[in-house]
Amino acid sequence: MNKSKAKVAKAKTKKILNVLITYCILIIVAFVFFFPCLWLILASFSKSGSIYSFDGFFPKEYGLDAFKALFTDTVMYNYPKWFLNTLFIAVMSCVLGTLLTILTAYCMSRFRFKSRKAMMKTTLLLGMFPSFMGTIAVYLIMTQFNLINQQWGLILIYSAQAPMGYMVQKGFFDTIPYSIDEAARIDGASNFTVFVKFILPLSKPMLVYTALTSFTWPWSDFILPKMLLIDKDLYTVAVGLMSLGETEFARFAAGSIFIAIPIIVLYFCLVKYMINGMAAGAVKE
Amino acid sequence: MANLSLKHIYKVYPNGAKAVNDFNMQIADKEFIVFVGPSGCGKSTTLRMIAGLEEITAGELKIGDTVVNGMEPKDRDIAMVFQNYALYPHMTIYENIAFGLRMRKIPDIKRYKKDDKDGHKAGEPVLGKDGKEIPVMRKYNKREIDEKVTEAAEILGITEYLKRKPKEMSGGQRQRVALGRAIVRQPKVMLLDEPLSNLDAKLRTQMRSEIVKLHKKLQTTFIYVTHDQVEAMTMGTRIVVMKDGFVKQIDTPKNLYKYPANKFVAGFIGTPQMNFFEGTLKKDGDKVIIDFAYSDAKITVPYSMLMKTTPQYLDGTKTVYIGFRAEDVTLEPERVAQSPAKIKVRISHSEELGTETLVYGDINMDGDGFAETSTRVIIKSGGFKEYMPDTVCEAALDINAIHLFDKDTEESIMPRIPEYNYLDCKVQNGNITFLGNTLPLPPAIECGDGVGEMLIPVSAVNFDGGIKAKVFGSENINGQILLSLEINGGRIYALSEKVIEEGIVNIGIDFKKLILKTDGKEILPMPLTNGLDGTFVADKGANRGEKIFSLLIDGVKFAAPEEVYSKMFAATTGRKVYNSQFRYEWSPYDIAVADSGLKAEVEKMLDYGKEKFAKCRVGDETLYVKADKDIEGTVFLSPDAGKVSVIESQRQIRIV
Repeated sequence: MNKSKAKVAKAKTKKILNVLITYCILIIVAFVFFFPCLWLILASFSKSGSIYSFDGFFPKEYGLDAFKALFTDTVMYNYPKWFLNTLFIAVMSCVLGTLLTILTAYCMSRFRFKSRKAMMKTTLLLGMFPSFMGTIAVYLIMTQFNLINQQWGLILIYSAQAPMGYMVQKGFFDTIPYSIDEAARIDGASNFTVFVKFILPLSKPMLVYTALTSFTWPWSDFILPKMLLIDKDLYTVAVGLMSLGETEFARFAAGSIFIAIPIIVLYFCLVKYMINGMAAGAVKE
Repeated sequence: MANLSLKHIYKVYPNGAKAVNDFNMQIADKEFIVFVGPSGCGKSTTLRMIAGLEEITAGELKIGDTVVNGMEPKDRDIAMVFQNYALYPHMTIYENIAFGLRMRKIPDIKRYKKDDKDGHKAGEPVLGKDGKEIPVMRKYNKREIDEKVTEAAEILGITEYLKRKPKEMSGGQRQRVALGRAIVRQPKVMLLDEPLSNLDAKLRTQMRSEIVKLHKKLQTTFIYVTHDQVEAMTMGTRIVVMKDGFVKQIDTPKNLYKYPANKFVAGFIGTPQMNFFEGTLKKDGDKVIIDFAYSDAKITVPYSMLMKTTPQYLDGTKTVYIGFRAEDVTLEPERVAQSPAKIKVRISHSEELGTETLVYGDINMDGDGFAETSTRVIIKSGGFKEYMPDTVCEAALDINAIHLFDKDTEESIMPRIPEYNYLDCKVQNGNITFLGNTLPLPPAIECGDGVGEMLIPVSAVNFDGGIKAKVFGSENINGQILLSLEINGGRIYALSEKVIEEGIVNIGIDFKKLILKTDGKEILPMPLTNGLDGTFVADKGANRGEKIFSLLIDGVKFAAPEEVYSKMFAATTGRKVYNSQFRYEWSPYDIAVADSGLKAEVEKMLDYGKEKFAKCRVGDETLYVKADKDIEGTVFLSPDAGKVSVIESQRQIRIV
């Protein structure tokens, strides 16, 4: 009797120990992830701005001066303008890129044509190379088309590159039973009607995912705009913040915090569509 | 509401796999056709080809009077119910049913949309310059859609669910919605692809009778695919049994059950499966002794029962399959006592099913009765009867219900329409004597004197000769009438298109179809198809852009009519048609002797009395050509390119 009681107690301590260790690891990991964020947030509320006057992670004085300066002191660094530039580029690339991506994915998922497999393999292979590998080539092409120092140049590049990652969307379309397409075709729908009336409504989660990814990339990209945009007035936020003087660290931090807001808002608006199970009830599994 | 015609339909996949082979069928209006067969037999593929979801490799498919081969599914006016329902998950049931109507346009006349100042009222027809109504196509309006959807929902009893979404419904209800979606458009043909196989057993039985009821109500053509032979037997007016892409038999459920054309159909239709034994048949006077292999069992049957059996199986050497259904074997003592055909059975076990008991046994006393061997026997017996395992009983076979199949081909050896009449004959001085009649042999049949056997194809017996025969029976078999005739005590079969009253008729024999075996020599019938190898070419026509397509045989071109070349293009992809080998076939009646064409050497003239044919040689091929007068030497043959049948040599598919 005693022996078994001891056994139970031993098992209990072991369990508690396990949980303790797990939580310890989790807390450490969370700290590692959140600390830079926290530092950035704290820095943005700091009154002294320079990175050279670093004296510990916690600022001596708190204030909203950096945020104020972002929107009021627009002579040297026109942050609101950069913000609108970025928004324009990201929204346009998001719309165009999503459209192209899902059309590509639909084609690859539903149609069988010559060289389909070859195209799929090629795009997969090309997608493995980092996108900045082709920057020199992109720069040359853009000069030829006279698209240097223009926002549309960037939008075109972002939208054209987006379909390279069509595989995820194709995988999703593949899970929508083909017999729905067939039933619709017998009912009198054309390929386009099938796509618009059946495939799109059924792939809302995937649409949201696609739109989010094709929005965040131009939103936070640095290399391409740095290379293609010359005018300070055309800068995106990422390039603009980089051009800030070294004594403006607080303003840099405030700018970084501020551009995170739209993505967070977007995410919370769209997250409810990302739940699975849209196709439930269509066919017997 | 339409009939369907499927002619030489093939489905060959790019990897060369043949899913459907030479499917031929005429489907009348309002029929309920069931395609049945094991998985992978091509039944669904055939249905999908009819629907237009799968391309037809070769052949001709007609719905009504229109060839629909290249038509889009939506233009074929068909509806289809899928095995997995394929409902539109994001739409309500109402929208699911209405979608097909929203997509469709109907013919109407142009009408005024609203009252105008010239005094026209809304809805009044607009008249053209010639004072006639102007035909237009319009969409269904809201009220019409509402009416139709409500009507369909009422028929299927789903009115109260119209606002729900598919995921809120059970399997049976979903299948009803799928049916509703199909019937609401009032299609010419309803196609159902295993619609019940996702439902549980009880619901399946219920839906089965509902679909039959629906068919009666809608009065339209149904084509139903299933792998369940019970569904096939209970629902179809006619059943198509398929296996490995081939049609095994097309007939009514009753005929499939009573007269299976081959062992596969015999085994597939009916539960429990038919008992198959191996054995030999030996004719002994007016009796036939059936000797079961791997067993001591032997039964004697009067020859009159096996009249249609091909004689070569009756010599006691060829092994055949002997089939008896479980209900045609009995263990009941009274019936066993009366029966002339008794066998000993060692009982192994039994399955009680309530109203009946299935008794498993073996006619081989060492057999175990479990494995499916050629001695295992399943016997249907009354309910709750107990049989002790390992006892040996006598069982009686109902010899009227015997089925016999060839061991290699598995085809029935007592077909309902026998192929040949087998008769003994004697040839002397160019005359042939059989059944007490003597006829002069036509000059084309060169046969020395002797005694032998003649095989007259049933189709070669015609009604314009001088032989007196007594009709003593006629049988209607799928529209053909098989007559049993008696000539001087002997019996022959003939086919007729109309019913002939019992009495005396005059018959003749078409000698060109006759097979004659005398003293070891065999005279074969004249082939009725002439095959030639060739290719397909295109030439520029006289006008710009015009092209002339021709069949190229032996360096000679024959311009192909559109009907022929369009089918050849349809059956081959891209430019492949120009690189493929074809075999062109003509009947002797469709090749004419002309001034130009294929150069041929006449080998000899065949004179069959009423008709004359020339046996010609073109290259390595021998051709038979209808000739009105004697010809000799070198001639030119001109086949009628419009009546050609084309076979693609590589894939062996009949294209035209």
